[in-house]
Amino acid sequence: MLTTAVAVPVFGAFLIPFAARISTAARNTFAVLLGLFTFLAAASLAGTVLGGQTADFLVSFPRGFDFILRADLLSVFMASVSAFVSAIILIYSIDYISHYENQTEYYAMVVLFLGSMMGLVFSANLLWMYVFWEMTGFASWRLVGFFRSDKDVAKANKTILVTVFGALCMLVGIIMVYFDHGTLDLRQLHGATISYAAAAFILVGILSKSATLPFSTWLPDAGVAPSTVTSLLHAAVLVKIGVYAYARIFGVTFAAPDSFSNLVLYIAGASALVSAGAALIDTDIKRIIAYSTVSQIAFIFLGLASGNKTAFAGAMLYILMHSIAKGGLFLCAGIIEQNTHTKDINRMGGLFSSMPVTGVAFALCSLSVMGIPPFGGFFSKFLVFSGAAQNGNLPVMLMFLAGAVMTLLYLVRLFYKIFLGEAAGHGNPKEGSWTMVASVMALALIGLALGALIHYPSAYVDLLTNALGVNLQ
Amino acid sequence: MDKGLLAYLLIPLLSAVIIPFAARRRALLADILANVTLLAGLANIAWLALRPSVIQGGFADIPGDGFSLLLVGAVYLVALCVTFFSAWFMPEGQPNRAAYYSLLLVSVSAMTGVVTSTDFFTLYVFIEVLAVTSFALITTDESAGGIEGALKYFFLTFPASALIIVGVAVMLLSLGSLSFESLRIAMSAEAPAAAVTFSAALILLGFLIKSGVVPFHTWTPDAYQGAYAPVSAHLAGIVTKISGVYAIIKLATLLRFFDGRAQALSEMLMFLGMLSIAVGALAALRQTDFKRMLAFSSISQVGYIVLAAGLGTPLAVMGAVFHLINHATFKTVLFLNSASVEKATGTTDMDKLGGLEHSMPWTSWTSVVALLSTAGVPPLSGFWSKLLIILALWEAGLRGYAVMALLFSIVTLAYFMMMQKKVFFGKKGQAAESSAEVSAPLLAPAVLMCGIIVALGLLFPYFYTYVKVVAERIIL
Repeated sequence: MLTTAVAVPVFGAFLIPFAARISTAARNTFAVLLGLFTFLAAASLAGTVLGGQTADFLVSFPRGFDFILRADLLSVFMASVSAFVSAIILIYSIDYISHYENQTEYYAMVVLFLGSMMGLVFSANLLWMYVFWEMTGFASWRLVGFFRSDKDVAKANKTILVTVFGALCMLVGIIMVYFDHGTLDLRQLHGATISYAAAAFILVGILSKSATLPFSTWLPDAGVAPSTVTSLLHAAVLVKIGVYAYARIFGVTFAAPDSFSNLVLYIAGASALVSAGAALIDTDIKRIIAYSTVSQIAFIFLGLASGNKTAFAGAMLYILMHSIAKGGLFLCAGIIEQNTHTKDINRMGGLFSSMPVTGVAFALCSLSVMGIPPFGGFFSKFLVFSGAAQNGNLPVMLMFLAGAVMTLLYLVRLFYKIFLGEAAGHGNPKEGSWTMVASVMALALIGLALGALIHYPSAYVDLLTNALGVNLQ
Repeated sequence: MDKGLLAYLLIPLLSAVIIPFAARRRALLADILANVTLLAGLANIAWLALRPSVIQGGFADIPGDGFSLLLVGAVYLVALCVTFFSAWFMPEGQPNRAAYYSLLLVSVSAMTGVVTSTDFFTLYVFIEVLAVTSFALITTDESAGGIEGALKYFFLTFPASALIIVGVAVMLLSLGSLSFESLRIAMSAEAPAAAVTFSAALILLGFLIKSGVVPFHTWTPDAYQGAYAPVSAHLAGIVTKISGVYAIIKLATLLRFFDGRAQALSEMLMFLGMLSIAVGALAALRQTDFKRMLAFSSISQVGYIVLAAGLGTPLAVMGAVFHLINHATFKTVLFLNSASVEKATGTTDMDKLGGLEHSMPWTSWTSVVALLSTAGVPPLSGFWSKLLIILALWEAGLRGYAVMALLFSIVTLAYFMMMQKKVFFGKKGQAAESSAEVSAPLLAPAVLMCGIIVALGLLFPYFYTYVKVVAERIIL
């Protein structure tokens, strides 16, 4: 199952153009099936890893560049979450994308993206993590450049240049690790120390991919892409790669120096504040949600870098909750944007009467992002904060508390501007098609259900933290 | 001469002689003869090197040093792509069709001669044959640009030939022999004679000019831009690599850079390599002509090979050889695609192009694959060769060079992104409105090369084994 979870989407993506030769319906079905299959393959590994086992797959390469896939608690968790959200996005895409050009390329790239993500999370060799890292960069380049005006292509190029720059810095860090330890096999590196310089270079790569300060500018710009793409980038895959890599490299493999973790905390705190501020004043619906992502990612970093088990488990839950809720928010934004033909929130208003289901889904997802009980988002935010409190770094705590309050503010403002108040210059647009509405509603309800059934995911992440965590108190 | 590979030299030469007679009545025969000759050679090489039994034996059965065979393979591959492309690219009734193919085949012979020669005089002779054929090939379509490019090529590489022949003369006087082996033995002495090192330096300088390394790069953009379209692919893909870069790698191993016998030369080479990477990449950012940008990109990529050759450790030589082969694949694709674009739209000015991806999807996507390989994006083949070079630099303690070489990949990516945006994506330009995809035979070489790029990337362990055999044989 391990190899199929990676190989099927990666190679399947290149078959999509051939499926498109048969018919549009065949292509769409094939793409959705690939997404669902990947999710099932990844989720089916949960049984193995919960039993305390790991699954490995190895192809020998010269010079210690072995291609190693390994399923453990962390990788199966990340793979299942991202594959699930991606599968929902693929279903939603069928209607959403059907009016545009380049659809075949779109489906191929989404599936390739998903496959590279699977490869990335299952890789147990830093070099191959880098390989898949760049493949996701390539796919995101094509996806952000989905519309082909000069402005769109320029922003797509910005996306790839920023992330590839970060990736090259990361490669420098990886080469340092290679010469320090003589291997890139993460299984052998477990518990090893990492030099400050190598950690810093790898961090640049992570921050650029997860759009944290000072590399955050590409993510709001990437909002020119179709909403499904931004949703994919924000919620399911792209920015989560950075978080995952941080968890994998500094959370469960290397013991990072304490001062390094503190540095990460301050960068994340600044990122949370600055982007929340930007979300408060922007008027473009997708840019606001994008800034919100930048801000929420910082909370995940807070959990990962705080250095204790509570916070780490909270961060894992946060990844899950944020994927579901943010995916939902972007897909709602897609419905709104498509039916009102604008992205400016000042020209919306009063949409609740014409799109009630979308409105409810949007509200539920927002509540989860804000961290209101009993939504899933509450538990993750609570755990992250209580872990950070144990760490006892007061300035960082205050920064993040302010960030959390601002989250509340900008999401309420956004909801008010779009759905409540006076209607502003639109002719009461209609609700989205049923697959689209069903997708967003599913995500919203799952967010609620995860809160109600918080016992199961939290038991999983506790197991994960205890089994794999390195250097956690 | 390496006699085992003599047939690869003689058979194209024979075909070159036959073609003008055979094609007197039927012009088509010239196309067929040239293609069949090269295809047969390539099949033969594939049989020699890629038999399952040879692969399983870790390539230990490869005749000679393996390097020559690999390069002869690359020469045949690129030349086959170019002749096949030309057969469909040339307008019917082009007057010098037969001469064109004859010259191409002679240049293939000359390149085979270069890579199989074992002494400096033979090397010089074949280099000159190659220079003369390239000079004639550039002017194939008799346009003003072609003649200008040919003249620049001739005048600027002429001093290089002069330097090489002077170097050869000094070497004969000081060493008493011109064979590679005697130079290698002389260099392994505790303190090699200064005159020998000097002669080698002269020869090296000549080859640096021939390979278009900064600061001797000024002729390459003009020659590539002015040359007849398929010929620029031939020149950039393989000719300048064989007539310059190959000789540099060879000299680097003969001069035993790896044990520091010629420290100053080695450092100079590395510096010029790094300079080429930087200057080529930064200059490419500012180009508006498709072919000119590719030419500057070539300068930058040659810089990587020269940098690695200058280091000279086994790992670096492996990286250099691998990058040389990769360069042949991706640069051929890009230049052939530029030729396709020129055929479809009538221009290579990037400001006039745009939006070609809908009318030319295959050209667009093969370009994407080739440019990603050039920029070293995994898992394509260009990534592995760059990685080997960078690991070698790091291993030798040259971390500054390693990091710079790595970070210039981002500049490479930047200018190619710009190119892709201006030519294929973006708004439809005037030229794009009326153009259609070129015919399938014109696409076949690019698609084949892309397949090789992907395959070399994914089958890296096999190729690594081969290149390791090569590095061991030519260094030890």
